[in-house]
Amino acid sequence: MTRVVLKEVTKRFEDVVAADRVTFQVEEGELFTLLGPSGCGKTTTLRIIAGFEMPDYGRIFFDEADVTFKKPYERGCAMVFQNYALWPHMSVYENIAYGLKLRKLPKSEIDKRVKEVLRLVGLEGLENRHPLQLSGGQQQRVALARALVIEPKVLLLDEPLSNLDAKLRLRMREELKSLQKELGITTIYVTHDQEEAMSISDRIAVMRKGRILQIGSPIKVYMDPTNLFVATFIGRSTLLRGIVEEVSGRRVKFKVGAFTLDGRIAEGFNMKKGERAVAVIRPEDFSIEFKKASNVIDGTVKLTMFLGPFMQAKVKIGSQDISAYLDPELKLKPGEHIRLYIDPDDVVIFPAEGWEELEFEA
Amino acid sequence: MMKEGRNLKSRFKHLFFYLDLTLLTQMMIPLFIFFIFLIGPLATVLYVAFQYNPLNILRDPTFLSFNPQGQLVFMAKRYFRGEWVNIIIFRGVSYGVIFNSLANAFFVTICSSILGVIIAFILARYEFPGKILFRVLATVPLLMTPFINAFVIKKLFDWRDGLISFFINDVLNLPYRVGIESLAGVAVTQIMTFFPIIYLNVFSSMVNVDPSLEEQAESLGARGFRLFRTITLPLSLPGLAAGSAIVFIFSLEDIAAPIVFNERRFISYQIFSRFIEATTGQLSPVAATLAIILLTLALLAFAGIKEYVSLKQYAMLSRGGRWKVRISKPGKKGLIAIYAFVLPFLLFTAFPQIGVFIYAFSQEWSGPLPKGFTLDNLSRIVIDPLVSRAIINSLSYSIVAVTMIAFIGLSASYVIARAKIPGLHLMDLLVTSPIALPGLVIAVGYFYFFSTFFAGTILDPVRTGPYFLLMFAYTVRRLPFTARAVFAGLQQVHVALEEASLNLGASRLRTLVFIVIPLIGLNILSGALISFVYCMSEVSTGVTLGGLGGISEGHQAPITFIMMDYLNRIRGPHIVASLGVLLISIQLTVIFLVNFAFKQKYAYIGV
Repeated sequence: MTRVVLKEVTKRFEDVVAADRVTFQVEEGELFTLLGPSGCGKTTTLRIIAGFEMPDYGRIFFDEADVTFKKPYERGCAMVFQNYALWPHMSVYENIAYGLKLRKLPKSEIDKRVKEVLRLVGLEGLENRHPLQLSGGQQQRVALARALVIEPKVLLLDEPLSNLDAKLRLRMREELKSLQKELGITTIYVTHDQEEAMSISDRIAVMRKGRILQIGSPIKVYMDPTNLFVATFIGRSTLLRGIVEEVSGRRVKFKVGAFTLDGRIAEGFNMKKGERAVAVIRPEDFSIEFKKASNVIDGTVKLTMFLGPFMQAKVKIGSQDISAYLDPELKLKPGEHIRLYIDPDDVVIFPAEGWEELEFEA
Repeated sequence: MMKEGRNLKSRFKHLFFYLDLTLLTQMMIPLFIFFIFLIGPLATVLYVAFQYNPLNILRDPTFLSFNPQGQLVFMAKRYFRGEWVNIIIFRGVSYGVIFNSLANAFFVTICSSILGVIIAFILARYEFPGKILFRVLATVPLLMTPFINAFVIKKLFDWRDGLISFFINDVLNLPYRVGIESLAGVAVTQIMTFFPIIYLNVFSSMVNVDPSLEEQAESLGARGFRLFRTITLPLSLPGLAAGSAIVFIFSLEDIAAPIVFNERRFISYQIFSRFIEATTGQLSPVAATLAIILLTLALLAFAGIKEYVSLKQYAMLSRGGRWKVRISKPGKKGLIAIYAFVLPFLLFTAFPQIGVFIYAFSQEWSGPLPKGFTLDNLSRIVIDPLVSRAIINSLSYSIVAVTMIAFIGLSASYVIARAKIPGLHLMDLLVTSPIALPGLVIAVGYFYFFSTFFAGTILDPVRTGPYFLLMFAYTVRRLPFTARAVFAGLQQVHVALEEASLNLGASRLRTLVFIVIPLIGLNILSGALISFVYCMSEVSTGVTLGGLGGISEGHQAPITFIMMDYLNRIRGPHIVASLGVLLISIQLTVIFLVNFAFKQKYAYIGV
């Protein structure tokens, strides 16, 4: 088992900074995810760890060993590529045995280990097929088997599930997680799908524009985002602009139009009275309220969309629109006036700086 | 200062992170070969040309003259074979060697473009019975039969014994005999030979135009010629630009037509004729000056169309057709026009290759019609020691060259496609440039460079003969075909396939051998076969450097030199035609293998 450490890893392509002082430590046996939108530098970071790119600055360590300038074939990590990269001119068996042959293992040993790993990924009996004769899910498993069979120090997964259809993706996600825990291989996982990241990871690093914004367990980054981008990128959220009316400790009174909401200041920030701010609220944290008079806002339903477990309503509050997941039983109709309640703990207040950019990206 | 040093150090570190020993070797060997066998010789030509005042040549009326010589059309009434006939002979006007080459190249390019675009448009946009025959006929002139196809054309337009005059005067009984000679003969020969290059390029562009673009214009009301002029032609411009640049350069450096028509007033002939005296070990510096002019004109042609095409595009043309191409049925008038004009035209332009077969299988063809069937000519190419020697020479030079081409082409293309180091586009340019470089310039360069700096060695063309140089000339000149085929193959292979191998612990060399080569094997093979065909029929260095060893038993000259040399011997055309048949067979075999057996899509661009 290996610990992976990145120190200040920086990589620039022409005028784009793909990795900006990326620093983190992946513990032995941990499943660590790099999460972010496309172009955030997560794949570049993974490729630097694999040795396909050289950082302009910074160091990479596998345990105590500095591998920054090692060639890919000297690193002993195994990568599963987004498009699987199965060699079409080789059978499943040959694909998987390739790495073992390079390690000059005796034929009987190779045979044994290929059989073993095929059983592990549930592909017994398909040794002689060629990759093009396999379904997407099967190809995915072969790619995984090919990486696992060499017992790598580190397993690198580059969006491994993104080419699968929705149902299969959920199944493979579970399988991948249980396999990783069973084998205890240090794993670095790259994805742009925040739900996938949350479900599979021990810890997540959220990246944007080459920088790591927050590292933490899925629950931590979901509950306590330390950054407006993280707050909006992880899970669904809706933004309300307003002004800080009163501060007491970590609690604030936040004024939106004619209403005042109680909320809490996001971790790592301090707020002053009169400051412009943005409240981040999860759509599922709204509820329709008829009686309560505190922490409510009034709005008009603009549009409703039925999503199964709940009704997504677009609600106009003053000059702003928010999204709320409400009870479908209510049978809301556009034009109806409603009053929404939010628990003060669910109203997370960030400084307003940079919110326009996020609106635009969304 | 400190910063500078660190920068340099980090740059080196960067370079060596991405370059392993395999990649480094793959980069250095092609560069070394190109340095010795292309850059060095070209630099020497420049040096020699500028040692003398190159502008002198412009003051020499042989090369540039404002007093035109000769007349465009010669007309006379003559008593010929028992009757009075009107003789009309097209000859052309000469303004000196340099102007002639340039004017001829422009004229040929424009005529070929017009013909090529018309044929391409008809074949790309209309469906009619027998279309496949039209498409085959239109590409027949691209079958390379050096010298002998021009010889057939000359014969066709001979006012005494030509088929055309025979048809007008003897069959139709009209009192006219028509001939085409000298400058005009060269132009007509080149147009008939080169227009399919335009046709293929434009055709490929047209079938690659997204049909919805034309449909959109149609739905807005554009029809007929307006649609063609405003949408179809502009969208096919890259193909037209690529094709016309090639035709322009091919016309400039064509040596076969001027030799056959005995027309000395072209740059190519002037360079060629100076090689005849070069067996003594001296090559007139005028050859260097002319070579530089040729080179400059060729490069200007490319600079002119740079906007539309890159060198990459045409060494290998995709024959395209990803969409369902828009094809309509011509109306009645259109159909009549196609059968009454296009078909005869294509039959006419395919006639030189047909004529090659007639020569090869006939006992005699000195009058208008051939006489007697024989296989004797074919057997002569085996029996005649000079001819059979030339075949063996060409085969062995080509095989050696293609082996080197496969290795260098794979190496260079792999580096260009995969290495992550700056400046690779220069290497790309270097490897593809020979396609734009006239072979005569390379021949002149080799002569000066190797007889000066490598005097007395195996590379000295005067002392040891040209065989070694020919192999390298073939290698450099025909490399682009393989390099592009390999590059195209590499673009189909996702980099991740190689990275997966490196990642599992395979070295670069191992990855190359076990992953890359198996995946692009057919591309390498196809490219090598195409290069082979072009080596076998290589003319420019073959007829210049190739003759330096002299022609006697056990000579070193290639097929093309013998084809030129035998043209004026007794029964010569029949033997040359037999060699033409041999070359056509090789070409058809390769076309079949590449297109149907390997299912690779490369079109041939010509001579």
